[in-house]
Amino acid sequence: MGKPVVEMRHIYKRFAKTLANDDVSLTVNPGEVVALLGENGAGKSTIMKILYGLYHKTSGEILIDGKERDIQTPRDAMDLGICMVQQHFTLIPAQTVTENIILGTYKGRIDYDKEQHEVEELSKKYGFEVPAGAYVKDLPVGIQQKVEILKALHRHARILIMDEPTAVLIPQEIDVLMHFIRDFAAEGNSVIFITHKMKEVMDAADRIIIMRNGAVSGCVNKKDVTATQLARLMIGHDLEVLKKPESNFESQKKRVEVDHVSIELKDGRKLLNDLNFSIHAGEILGIAGVSGNGQEELCKALYGALHITQGSVKLDGEDITHKSVKEHIALGIGYCPADRYRYGMVSDMSLTQNMMLKSSYLGRWDKHGFINWSDVSNYTEDVIKKYNVKAPDTSVTIGSLSGGNQQKLVVGREVDMGTNVVIFNQPTRGLDLGAITNVQKVVLQERAAGKSVLLISTELSELFDLSDRIAVMYQGSFVGIFKPEDLNVEKIGLLMAGVSLNEAEGGSDGKE
Amino acid sequence: MDGVINLLSRALFMSTPLALGATGEVIAERTGMMVCAVEGIFLAGAWAGFTVTYITGSLLLGFLIALVTGAAVAALYGFACIYLDQHQIVMGTAVAIFMTGFCTFFYRVIFGTPTSPLKVETLDSINIPLLCDIPIIGKILFSQNIITYLTFIIVPIVSYVIFKTSTGLTMRSCGENPDAVEVAGLDVRKIRFLALLVAGCFDGVAGAFYSLANVGMYTSEIISGRGWIAFGICFLGNWHPKGALVFGIVFGIFDAIGTYAKAIGLAGIPSELFSLLPYLLVIILTATRKEFNIPAKLGAKFVKQD
Amino acid sequence: MEKSKDSELLQTFLWTGGALILGLIVSFAFLPAVGEDPFAALQLMVGMTFSDSFNMGKILVKAAPLILCSLAFASTFKANLFNIGAQGQFYMGCICATAISLGCQDVLPPFLTILLAALGAMAGGAAIGYIIALLKTKFNANEFLVSMMSTYVVLYIMKLLLRTSLQESKHEYVQSDMLSNAVWLPKFLPGTTASIGILISVAAAIAIYFILKKTTLGYRIQVTGLNMDAARLSGIDPKKQFLIAFAISGCLAGLAGFIEVNGMQHMLLDGLDSDIGSYGIGIAIMANSNPIGVIFCSLLFGALQVGGTILSHETTAPASIIDLMLGIVMLFVLFSFFFRNRHEIKKTIKKQIALEGKK
Repeated sequence: MGKPVVEMRHIYKRFAKTLANDDVSLTVNPGEVVALLGENGAGKSTIMKILYGLYHKTSGEILIDGKERDIQTPRDAMDLGICMVQQHFTLIPAQTVTENIILGTYKGRIDYDKEQHEVEELSKKYGFEVPAGAYVKDLPVGIQQKVEILKALHRHARILIMDEPTAVLIPQEIDVLMHFIRDFAAEGNSVIFITHKMKEVMDAADRIIIMRNGAVSGCVNKKDVTATQLARLMIGHDLEVLKKPESNFESQKKRVEVDHVSIELKDGRKLLNDLNFSIHAGEILGIAGVSGNGQEELCKALYGALHITQGSVKLDGEDITHKSVKEHIALGIGYCPADRYRYGMVSDMSLTQNMMLKSSYLGRWDKHGFINWSDVSNYTEDVIKKYNVKAPDTSVTIGSLSGGNQQKLVVGREVDMGTNVVIFNQPTRGLDLGAITNVQKVVLQERAAGKSVLLISTELSELFDLSDRIAVMYQGSFVGIFKPEDLNVEKIGLLMAGVSLNEAEGGSDGKE
Repeated sequence: MDGVINLLSRALFMSTPLALGATGEVIAERTGMMVCAVEGIFLAGAWAGFTVTYITGSLLLGFLIALVTGAAVAALYGFACIYLDQHQIVMGTAVAIFMTGFCTFFYRVIFGTPTSPLKVETLDSINIPLLCDIPIIGKILFSQNIITYLTFIIVPIVSYVIFKTSTGLTMRSCGENPDAVEVAGLDVRKIRFLALLVAGCFDGVAGAFYSLANVGMYTSEIISGRGWIAFGICFLGNWHPKGALVFGIVFGIFDAIGTYAKAIGLAGIPSELFSLLPYLLVIILTATRKEFNIPAKLGAKFVKQD
Repeated sequence: MEKSKDSELLQTFLWTGGALILGLIVSFAFLPAVGEDPFAALQLMVGMTFSDSFNMGKILVKAAPLILCSLAFASTFKANLFNIGAQGQFYMGCICATAISLGCQDVLPPFLTILLAALGAMAGGAAIGYIIALLKTKFNANEFLVSMMSTYVVLYIMKLLLRTSLQESKHEYVQSDMLSNAVWLPKFLPGTTASIGILISVAAAIAIYFILKKTTLGYRIQVTGLNMDAARLSGIDPKKQFLIAFAISGCLAGLAGFIEVNGMQHMLLDGLDSDIGSYGIGIAIMANSNPIGVIFCSLLFGALQVGGTILSHETTAPASIIDLMLGIVMLFVLFSFFFRNRHEIKKTIKKQIALEGKK
């Protein structure tokens, strides 16, 4: 086997409020694919960012090829052959693929033609089809990820770190990626990929390092371990399985009716394309699809935040198509946005002030504009208790809470605001397993209460577990609406890629 | 006709500090930093340039020290914003107030209260042989002073650097997505600080132009918002040095119209109207321009991961 | 919870106060350059500023418009907007107050004239603020630039008016006629020149504080300022909030103009209070846009201005020492925010380690 190419010994990393890495030691061998598995918040990104020089370790040693190295900046890391593809792409949309790849590697006058040619050669060598002269903002997400990988290949990476690489890919693209990873490793390079999805790990990795609460809780070879054992190492106890109670939602009345809804922009592009569906009382309608196919627009349209150019939306028979966000809130529609930092909360305001967010026009907590803050504070305390939010008191800023607790508050607020309809857009993204289960329980509770629930998620397992029906969204329209039992992962993957219903049903050859 | 030639020649003259300041601003803003202290730096340049020239008699030394002073003030502003986490607009205002007090105080300390304003010999024009004899254009383009000539040379050089070299690519990337630059192993903060220093040099010389090339003296009102006009020209010129030059000339023309109003037959209009025209023009142009090419992360704080 | 609020206030006093004192010390270190002994100068300045009621009254006079101009900046700052044009809105207020006072003083009863002048000044300032915001919301114009430029536009209009329609009857200087005694703002502290302007300003500060803390209007403005996207998704229209914030801002600056004209100068001259806008920004920044903090900081600035004037009369120090002092103090206070933040983080880390040790 030989010497490990990467060895990290007793790494500690402290941030102001947390000990993100607690005595972490690990090794990586040449030609090996290592999966770094753990829940959100386990410290996996942190330890790898330390290896890549983005973070400075509080204490510990790093050895590359057996020699101790001081990695202060990403440049030091890249000189040693370590490259990292970040979870959130660090690309510059307004520049071309070539410009993005050569950034930082160059001195002097740029020979654009020569560089573009080199990028094209590199791209061909690995079987990527990346247009070297295109602007990044015009490329789909899957291709953008390939650009990120090309950045690393251009720098002759021999240790490639990938942080949650499959988050934005459909099943077929994930296969292609895993293929690349195995080929790359076969050349003698090492790959470390960070993930929280056990299935990927079982498919692609040679060895699995599991982290929990900032420390390494286990290190196993893939062939020596089962999924259940992995889960236990990841979360410290057995996974709780949620059971969706039976329902006969179809016999209930249709509360939300969407009729031939389209959103067409001035340049002819359609953000939403002739959507027709309805949601019954007590039903969870799940929406599957790769991010960026209109899910965000659908949510905003149903919330009054985006102008609908054609068609109508009715709530309990009342036409709400062109009503404002204010009016939607007053009609009892709640919305948990995918990006809660940006759309769902004000991070520098207190918990109490955040609870007020949707109610400023409702007259619920104010008389003629004068707010009774102690009432709001009491309400906030109730929400904290009900959803088990870990917070010292209601006056701390919401930004100081952990992601899971923030989400619990936002969910608690929106579920309260949504007396008739609740829209959940990726409600469990970025949360640890405990919080995920909590939120999923809430979604089921709302269903039980007879509300119409819209659930958008990129986690297929979540959709299958919770939805009464699943719609697949592609380029602004529904490819179809199905019962969960009529779908499998492969079929849904094809539909998400835009394959027509007939093809998807006819052959599972993975054709695109 | 003579009046028009004089006006255009004067326009080019008055456009020089604006174009210089705007080009400096473009350099800084392409990396994501706004030079909100621009008015203060202009003032510092005007004061330093005048003081040094008055004492030493050398215009060259005056401009050089003005350049260094501009860089120094920009360094203070840059250090505070980049390394001490200060808000750019807030810090810019603080530095501007500080420089106002500083320059006036030290003018008083050094020169006392003279009964009549102190003066220096202003920059001579340099007539480029042969070219300055071309009818019409000769007088306008080739009978300017050295700073104006330098400005016309600097603008295309800066253009080249920003768009054709890797330094420029790095700069533009800092303004679009500093995280991408950090991940590529470069020091975003250092790049931004250096860009500010360069902008400070430009702004310092631009400020000195007013005291050393235009009126030959220093008062605390010598800048009167011109630094802000240069700031605005960066926006209007779409963050391109060429745009900075073009709009610098536009404003130079308006400035010149005020001076030559009588000569071209606009005598009846009150002078205050001409004075306010440049400022009104910035407002109108700002409102009518569709902003594109604004660096995506302009003004946003870059939080270095640690 | 109560304890943390008190300690927060104490920390603010300690850090900001410390920075202030340090800033003053550093500025006094410049005095030897004009041949003055800093310690003697300090004693003189403090002694004379606080020695008699006349000087103390002058502090109130100086502070009144400062409070309003810094509230003007603070109100838009809360919406994450930058109204650098408070100076211009101040001038507008001066113009309106002067024009209305002179126009109505012989025609209407004094109380009505004063009231109209105040309302006119507020409306004039609010109109300018509203226009700036309108350009932003309708045309996406950068309000920082537009407000900065608007100051100069209004300045030159004022100069023009002072030379033509508003000029004094003698037509000798570029200034207006003196307002008749009847429309002067009444004084309220015997032995001083302080008019009720300071009371109006403090009342305005308290009103703004109340609006921000306790009303849905203030809440919405702050949400818009802190997170515009979340505001939109909460039914709040950011454009409407911008217009409201700028109108309030302009209104406050305009009111400052009224107080200066009717309460202090009793006329309008060119070059009046040309730095009040900048000072207002400086104070708002130092007080971190807190209306109550603004009152204290304005009083402090007023004291520095009065002290500086005394210094320049009694010693060889020039009047510009005031600007220098203010500039240095501002820089120090701003830097103190950074160091305080770093200190707090280090404290949190220490506490965290201690907590983990106990486990």
